[in-house]
Amino acid sequence: MVTASSISFGANTTFTSSPIPKTKPLFIPHSLKFTTGNGRAAVTFQRAVSVIPKATSADSRATKEPTATFHGLCYVVGDNIDTDQIIPAEYLTLVPSNPDEYEKLGSYALIGLPATYTTRFIDENETKTKYKIIIAGGNFGCGSSREHAPVALGAAGCSAVVAESYARIFFRNSVATGEIYPLDSEARLCEECSTGDVVTIEIAESRLINHTTGKEYKLKPIGDLGPVIDAGGIFAYARKTGMIASRN
Amino acid sequence: MASSVISPAPTSSFINNKKDLGSFCFSSTSQFSVNKCKKSAVSKKIVSVMAPQQSERRPATTGSVKNAMTLTEKIFSRASEKPQLSPGDNVWVNVDILMTHDVCGPGSFGIFKKEFGENAKVWDREKIVIIPDHYIFTSDERANRNVDILRDFCMEQNIKYFYDIKDLGNFKANPDYKGVCHIALAQEGHCRPGEVLLGTDSHTCTAGAFGQFATGIGNTDAGFVLGTGKVLLKVPPTLRFVLDGEMPDYLLAKDLILQIIGEISVAGATYKSMEFVGTTVERLSMEERMTLCNMVVEAGGKNGVVPADGTTFKYLEDKTSLPYEPVYSDEKASFLSEYRFDISKLEPLVAKPHSPDNRALARECKDVKIDRVYIGSCTGGKTEDFLAAAKVFLASGKKVKVPTFLVPATQKVWMDVYTLPVPGSGGKTCSQIFEEAGCDTPASPSCGACLGGPKDTYARMNEPMVCVSTTNRNFPGRMGHKEGQIYLASPYTAAASALTGYVTDPREFLE
Repeated sequence: MVTASSISFGANTTFTSSPIPKTKPLFIPHSLKFTTGNGRAAVTFQRAVSVIPKATSADSRATKEPTATFHGLCYVVGDNIDTDQIIPAEYLTLVPSNPDEYEKLGSYALIGLPATYTTRFIDENETKTKYKIIIAGGNFGCGSSREHAPVALGAAGCSAVVAESYARIFFRNSVATGEIYPLDSEARLCEECSTGDVVTIEIAESRLINHTTGKEYKLKPIGDLGPVIDAGGIFAYARKTGMIASRN
Repeated sequence: MASSVISPAPTSSFINNKKDLGSFCFSSTSQFSVNKCKKSAVSKKIVSVMAPQQSERRPATTGSVKNAMTLTEKIFSRASEKPQLSPGDNVWVNVDILMTHDVCGPGSFGIFKKEFGENAKVWDREKIVIIPDHYIFTSDERANRNVDILRDFCMEQNIKYFYDIKDLGNFKANPDYKGVCHIALAQEGHCRPGEVLLGTDSHTCTAGAFGQFATGIGNTDAGFVLGTGKVLLKVPPTLRFVLDGEMPDYLLAKDLILQIIGEISVAGATYKSMEFVGTTVERLSMEERMTLCNMVVEAGGKNGVVPADGTTFKYLEDKTSLPYEPVYSDEKASFLSEYRFDISKLEPLVAKPHSPDNRALARECKDVKIDRVYIGSCTGGKTEDFLAAAKVFLASGKKVKVPTFLVPATQKVWMDVYTLPVPGSGGKTCSQIFEEAGCDTPASPSCGACLGGPKDTYARMNEPMVCVSTTNRNFPGRMGHKEGQIYLASPYTAAASALTGYVTDPREFLE
């Protein structure tokens, strides 16, 4: 049986506390993997409803300060990366709430980037990315309101984006779905970091550490969006705070 | 900002349990947000879902003196039933209309059912407008399936407004089908001053032309609205754009908005409302106002508004019988910034690849050889857009030098193109003028190639080429091919460019 203490994660993701609440939100970061206490086969939680435990009465745990840490390779992009570059329109026939199509969406994440990006976000013949963190310039996610954009990034295996600034609908969709953490940097990290650098993001300390260059950078505090993403998106948050009734 | 975190209301909740969804009803004191209750009286009266704001009472203020508010703030105030609010406040807002289409509808419905239950009912079957428009005339199976998903949901929920299409081979055989959602919303009378309209499409801001709050949301937010009829929004501060001066007859609203976006950049209005006033705006038709508000999102704007006036009321006369109450910015309202433009001094513009804020004078791009011209979309495929293009072709009398694709936004626009006489042509219709100029036959109404779409989409850019387009975005790959070069322009400029085979200032033909 999986208990909070036996939760461990795949090589690149560390979740240092905040045990999964009982009212399990539908949308949890797909990159979570659970191994049982004796290290037997990992169960990967995806969006398939059947894997998620039944919700019980409203979670009595108070909303904690988010203490997530993200660690992994970063992928660097520039300014004004619009939704057509994140997920080209021809793939919008895929319906994100359908588990198979959700995975397919992920496989096309950032495929719209022009040829000037010589390193692909997802290697050819792969469906997941090896870059857990995206570092971007200003106005990340501008363009369409398509929720497919943050969903594709999340489905591909990205956990967080650290950008100089965001377009509002993209930011809102990221929070609403809980798919990725949209973090704000204080400096232009897209000029300080290179694709392939190993970085750690400490949410509670509002800090990004680039292990490859040895430099540290301040991030803007997560503020309001923390509780919502931590809960797993707006529905889970709305249930947690009594806005809507718990399921079942 | 602790004050903006939602605090749980101790004794009220949206929905007691799933069974009550059908009888769910918010009572409201405002006469203009009458919600229809499906069953008899509801036991719980929801008054507010936020803890009351603790406002400071300054000694000098007594009685019911209110702070001045902008148009957008007033809409938020009424929709959230809060007499007073300020930019930055997070408030729960009653939604008047929710729109979705074939690309985002299925995902939104999926979320709605997962979160509220397989048998859940939508909050109000008359306030949801479902408009297939994006990927319609294609053989892509998933795209076709998505329209079927819309239909299934509409039948199950008994949605009143579903503009269905079944016969893809002949759009005219579908009496309910409209076409591009934002134009359909306006033409069918769903846009009303003072209301809150949300859509799962970034160009939902188009409806701000009617003096309402209209903005784009994602599937998850839409799923939430489907179940509750409410959304949590942050009140945006307002940027005011004062456009004065007589509009030269070679300029269109598209030039105005390209001017503004070029001025403030693609992130210049992020999280903000853009309010358009001034003598020039007052003289714009509804369709031109729609073009203006349509591209607000290209500046990052949350919403755009044009105050309602005689032009608005006249347009709405034969389209809606629902009551509405327009609101206006107070004289002493605070605006974040004010920009003033003397329109009489402006010249036709383009947005060069690959950004809507990459502004340039059309005449300075006259050496740019082009491969095709596209006239269509919610931005530049309305009746007046085609009349404008026809005007240029008529003035020239010559044939186009490059393939020129025409995609009317809706069935009604298509009809207008084939029936309305073009002024000064001796009774010719747009379609006749287009034919004489050698343009492609006007296509079936839909979003078409504005956003590329499935590979078999009409006029999609499948190879790298240069296109002058009346659409709204020109980021890499927007119309299909990543190396495609898109110059955004007004219908006048697009038509002029088609005639020369180069990016061309329409004054070449209009003066």
